[in-house]
Amino acid sequence: MKPAVFSYSAPESIEEALGLLAEHGSEAKVLAGGQSLVPLLNFRLARPAHIVDINGIGELSYISSNGSLRLGALTRLTAVEESGDVSSGHPIITRAVSHIGHRAIRNRGTIGGSLAHNDPAAETPALLLALDSEVTARSAGGERTLSAQELVGDRFFETSLGDDELLTEIRIPALAASSGWGFQELSRRHGDFALAGVAAVVTMDGGAISSAALGAFGGAYAARLPEAEAALVGAEAGEAAFAAAGERAAAEFPTTSDVHGSEEYRRHLIGVLTGRALAEATSNTGGENG
Amino acid sequence: MAETITVVLDVNGVGKEISVEPRKTLADAIREDLGLTGTHLGCEHGVCGACTVLMDGEMVRSCLLFAVQGAGAEITTIEGIGDGGELHPMQRAFSEYHGLQCGFCTPGMILAGIDVLRRNPDPGPQEIREEMGGNICRCTGYQKIVESVQAAAAEMSKEGVSA
Amino acid sequence: MTATQSTGWIGVSAPRREDALLIRGRGRFIADVSPAGALHLAVLRSPFAHARINGVDTSAAESLPGVHGVITADDLEGIGAFPTVWRLPGQKECHTPALAPGKARYVGEPVAAVIADSRYIAEDALDLIEVDYEVLDHVVDVEAALAEDAPVINEHMGDNVIIEYTFPGINALGVAGDLDGAFAEADEVITGRFRIGRYSGVPLETRGLVADWDDLRQTLTLHSESQVAHLLRTELAAALGIPETSIRILTPNIGGAFGNKWDRYPEDILVSLASMRLGRPVKWIEDRRESLQATVHGRQQLQEWQLAVRSDGALLGLKGRVLSDQGAHLHSVGIGPAWVTGAAAVNQYKIANYHCDVLGVATNKTPNSTFRGFGGPEAMFGIERMVDKAARKLGIDPAEIRRMNMIGADEFPYFSPGGAVYDSGNYPTALAKALEAVEYDRLREEQAALREQGVRRGIGIGSYIHVSGFGPSAILGMLDYYTGGYEGSTVKIDPHGRATLYTGMIPMGQGTETTLAQVAADHLEIDIANVRVVWGDTDQTPYTGFGSAGSRSNVAAVAVIKAIEEIKAKAVRIGAGLLEADPEDVAYGDGRISVKGAEEMRSLTLAEVAQQAYWGHKIPEGDQPGLEATYVYDPANFTTAYGTHVAVVDVDVQTGKIDWVKYVVVDDAGTIINPLLVEGQIHGALAQGLGGAILEEFVYDEETGQLLSSSLMDYLLPSFTDLPDFEIHHLETPSPHTEGGFKGMGEAGCFPAGAVVANAVTDALSDLGIEVDETPVTPARLWGLINAAGG
Repeated sequence: MKPAVFSYSAPESIEEALGLLAEHGSEAKVLAGGQSLVPLLNFRLARPAHIVDINGIGELSYISSNGSLRLGALTRLTAVEESGDVSSGHPIITRAVSHIGHRAIRNRGTIGGSLAHNDPAAETPALLLALDSEVTARSAGGERTLSAQELVGDRFFETSLGDDELLTEIRIPALAASSGWGFQELSRRHGDFALAGVAAVVTMDGGAISSAALGAFGGAYAARLPEAEAALVGAEAGEAAFAAAGERAAAEFPTTSDVHGSEEYRRHLIGVLTGRALAEATSNTGGENG
Repeated sequence: MAETITVVLDVNGVGKEISVEPRKTLADAIREDLGLTGTHLGCEHGVCGACTVLMDGEMVRSCLLFAVQGAGAEITTIEGIGDGGELHPMQRAFSEYHGLQCGFCTPGMILAGIDVLRRNPDPGPQEIREEMGGNICRCTGYQKIVESVQAAAAEMSKEGVSA
Repeated sequence: MTATQSTGWIGVSAPRREDALLIRGRGRFIADVSPAGALHLAVLRSPFAHARINGVDTSAAESLPGVHGVITADDLEGIGAFPTVWRLPGQKECHTPALAPGKARYVGEPVAAVIADSRYIAEDALDLIEVDYEVLDHVVDVEAALAEDAPVINEHMGDNVIIEYTFPGINALGVAGDLDGAFAEADEVITGRFRIGRYSGVPLETRGLVADWDDLRQTLTLHSESQVAHLLRTELAAALGIPETSIRILTPNIGGAFGNKWDRYPEDILVSLASMRLGRPVKWIEDRRESLQATVHGRQQLQEWQLAVRSDGALLGLKGRVLSDQGAHLHSVGIGPAWVTGAAAVNQYKIANYHCDVLGVATNKTPNSTFRGFGGPEAMFGIERMVDKAARKLGIDPAEIRRMNMIGADEFPYFSPGGAVYDSGNYPTALAKALEAVEYDRLREEQAALREQGVRRGIGIGSYIHVSGFGPSAILGMLDYYTGGYEGSTVKIDPHGRATLYTGMIPMGQGTETTLAQVAADHLEIDIANVRVVWGDTDQTPYTGFGSAGSRSNVAAVAVIKAIEEIKAKAVRIGAGLLEADPEDVAYGDGRISVKGAEEMRSLTLAEVAQQAYWGHKIPEGDQPGLEATYVYDPANFTTAYGTHVAVVDVDVQTGKIDWVKYVVVDDAGTIINPLLVEGQIHGALAQGLGGAILEEFVYDEETGQLLSSSLMDYLLPSFTDLPDFEIHHLETPSPHTEGGFKGMGEAGCFPAGAVVANAVTDALSDLGIEVDETPVTPARLWGLINAAGG
């Protein structure tokens, strides 16, 4: 299990990296934390001719918060997990990141890499979908902003980034003061990719739900659950509303089967975990579960 | 012959210049080019943790890094643990509490245990289990590893050693 | 315990001498063996479950810079294949050359090998080999393989039944049961159909070999992780067509073996041959993907049982059919594990009437062979599930039905209708102790209360026997098992009075080096620091055809004791001469040779006698100079370890996830040499038993025949958070069959684990009427049952 031959460059600036991506095009692969890419290389399931190692680009690694959150794409998952800026404003991110792999993986793995790899069973894409995040993509030709939905929506193991584009920043809007969050995941073992998982953010108006965002993973691709979200708006928080949302979630989730679980099972789990995530979210509105 | 790159690896406080293909993993370079065979390969896809090394003090999988990426970092392998001829308290505890059987996962386990105690000098059994969950042992069933790490924690706090 | 302690080394938790190197990362594993100039071999494996190989074009691979050679099936002319050691009557001929000859029968079967400057280049070359495969229909399900129109995997066999073997229910005394009578008398006939999942040892260290052929001396030095190096030497010599005297096998540290490294493999031949043909050292380290595809799998069986019971709970008769899913062909032990299943299936119970048909069936999968437990856990799964089903049907508590049917402590030796002779034990006491440890009655009350609150807690009980210490060799002969059941040991006392012990055992994590040193120190009554253990070199160590396994140290320990008895007797004879006493009046004790009753005055140290023995000046008539002995111990009979486990679990009915509450083990492995190491063995075996109960499975795709579990992301090894803390209690009934009373114990922990989990989960869901009859009990599988039951 040794990688096939590739050529290698380690740019020290974003511009330099973008130049290399423009030069090598589809022959190149960006190496960030490498925790997903290198296994693929070792299995020879990926055989890029050229590797652009961005780990030397210090300007891609930062956490900045003023209510909304800006994460440099190369920020290590451990740094996100341990950041007070992240946990004070977006504790759901802290929790979700703690589910990604294990400590040694998170020490190298990056938030941008996790998003761009877009594994349908991974936490990051669904989480960032639920949080209405947006990203910056840069190329030698310029820069554009995409919503998380535009980046990863309806896709698996690929994004809408062009071959010459580099994901540079992820922006997550501030959560409303009256919002609560829940994050529920079932995996075969601690740290494994999910059988199913749901990230929920709800905003409350008294005892009623005024808005809900649900990001689900563990299926064919990471997805928002708009039918379930719609059903929650205006509903009184409680078992009945959660169960109804769970039913819709299960119905609309783009499920799939693999060696660990059938489509039917995963669909069922999305329903169960939606209910549990909502129960968690509505019980911690106003930052009680920070 | 494929392209090679010259890189200086600083492992256990000793810098050594090696010339490697960019595809050569850090684990292979440590084992083959530096001759430090205490770093083991159990899966080469980042699941088992046998190849764990400390990079600037943090545990990482050396099978998921390329040797060329090791430049500029301080890398510690099992051979760099302990003080001169003295065993590290974690090494002593693994032996005393039977935290190893075949010994193949042990270098990675010991480094992971040290990393856990660096972050929390007094973890409970459940925390040890969660924090070390990325390292697989096929022999012990883990209970005696947990006991070993707890014993090392107690010993280190007594001696005033930090991980 | 002090460092200078000279007696009482058996029964103490002596620190492991293996550890000093391992905790420093200075163990020397096979991948660490790197002779100068070594080349690297890589194996091209079939990507198809079943395919004719119409041609292999190696030209591009051979012309890649850095490649030294390619081996295909055409290059194996004159090279033999490894036999199966166990060849039961009726077993069809299995001949499996090192490279697939014209047809590949499972994903991962070796097709060609490349030898290159590095592993990296060797893998580059594998990519360049063009194989003309003609894909054939495949079959991966054992029942489908029995169908009339199933593709025939081994054409010369005519169909996919490799062997059909019947246990007629006659015990070792020749007494036959009356199965029809038992079923006629029965008030109920309980039926069960169990699918036991395919999983294996999956040692953290994969297999590997380094071969070094010396053309001038015409010798082959093979560094190998084989658990049975001498048998490998014998079979390799035959396959390569060179004298066995030309082969020396050296064993490095082994990073786990668990039976998987007991077997002989194609790579043993390929790597040796490559070195012989190229005149260079050749190294092969299996990677993880190959390891999951091509190191033997284990366990997988489909069992059908009928249990005749009386309404008072008496178990009257057991009838069964075991389909052993062998994979593409028999491996080193034939259908051995499935045979053991048939032999052990009546377990601890007085079921006098028994019949079992065992079929070894070929499927397009990796061969199913040696794995810790070796058919025992499969047997325990069947009977312990059946007993639970009977209890439920009859409305008897599962603990009570076990107790009332157990063989009594006064009924040994017990001649089971499976053919085994159970040596000793106290089964009801082990059960009672386990129930007491979990506070069974309180637990049942708590369970009922929790059920009211919507918490589904389950209690699972599993009792087991583990027949170990296979021997005497004559019995193995009667079983058509073509190697011996003995173990030899050579002990040499040097002129300074220190001991070196040579054993064919190979430490692979279980601490054999330490435990054998303990036995030697104990019996020589000297400090353990003065005992050295030599292992892992076929040029030095006694022949063993059975080799190292967790359940063999007991036999090897007896060989050590017997050799030491000879040494002590000789030391007494020599010492008597020196002390000018009658040998009858001289005794060995506390590491000294002394005149009885005058130990203070007329006494010599072992070193003083040993020095004399090597000077040879005053050797008694009939003795030779020197002080050493070799003893080959052939066990008088099998030993039977046994015990009871109890698991307590909570089941989340919405997700099918299982949480551990408690796990208690009571076991009896006879006299314990080192309690700490015994505990470690129980933990480890149990971890593997529970792994196969909830996580580990080799899954094959029915449509494509592909192995879906070919990475450690899909084949799930238990990690820290997947296993409970284990609570262990011991009984210690010394085996009457072995000197020292030791029984094999390195495997026992895994025996009841699958049944215990299935019983606990079934118990937790009793209101839904669910029966957990398939392993592993994955969340998806369990939820499927719950969903089907309307839960």
